[in-house]
Amino acid sequence: MSKSKAGLLQGTLDMLILKALSLGALHGYGVGQRIAQISGDALKVEEGSLYPGLYRLEQRGWIESEWDVSDNNQRAKFYKLTRAGRKQLIIEEQNWERLAGATKKALRAV
Amino acid sequence: MTWIKAKLSFINARRHPDELTREVETELRFHIEMRTRANVEQGMRPDDARRAAVQSFGDFEQVKTDCCEIRRSLPFDSTPLRMGLHITTAVVAGLAALWAVNVPHHNFAGVMRQLIAIGVLTYLLIVVQRARSKRAAGSEHVNSVLATPSETFPANRGLTSYMSDAPSPKITAYDEEGRTPVERVFKS
Repeated sequence: MSKSKAGLLQGTLDMLILKALSLGALHGYGVGQRIAQISGDALKVEEGSLYPGLYRLEQRGWIESEWDVSDNNQRAKFYKLTRAGRKQLIIEEQNWERLAGATKKALRAV
Repeated sequence: MTWIKAKLSFINARRHPDELTREVETELRFHIEMRTRANVEQGMRPDDARRAAVQSFGDFEQVKTDCCEIRRSLPFDSTPLRMGLHITTAVVAGLAALWAVNVPHHNFAGVMRQLIAIGVLTYLLIVVQRARSKRAAGSEHVNSVLATPSETFPANRGLTSYMSDAPSPKITAYDEEGRTPVERVFKS
């Protein structure tokens, strides 16, 4: 399959980060890996760009972080979803469904 | 609770900027370390693996700066706070001007109070002028956002889809009441 880059709608990265963290606490590297995994390698987060996204979500109170020890005994910062983040994810998912539905409808128009 | 944590995090970031920078650096270096390990597991030589990890990460210093700036920014919309500050300033300045003007001006104290009044009113004018120019700059920013949403909003930067050849979409997301994002902002 030929792979080419395409832009996605604004806010998609935030939604994907929230979704990845809804499955359990992860460090930044793990978030990127999980997004790739749950999208079947169709979505790839450019590594450095993930962190401003994480910090922005933490600033909004949708995720929180704490330092812990990773599997390879290194100090790492782990992120997890807050209650507000869980609610936000539901809102984002509903918005996405609505938008996807509307787009599909528009594309089927003759 | 989360709200309080966000405030504390903001205060800490302001009070200990060096600590924040170190923390961000440690986190980003951990990421590069993990990527290096993954590259080695895929059969790369350690040196090449590290080089590839650093390269795939992108601009380390820029990411570090962005993260620090986000942590140092206010964890809430400061517009009402700033508006309140402007209104308070205007009221205080007005009262001070009234106090200073409402005196006989044939003695030293009276002249001084009038000078203070002129100073306060000048300050008030400057504050109002600055607020107006900021508002004008803000609406210019909104216009540029509307013109090129994908370039201006950083929220989606860095996410790449490998699904289609379609160009970056510029689509308006309507909410339940059929309002566009702009209408949501200006009519709420």
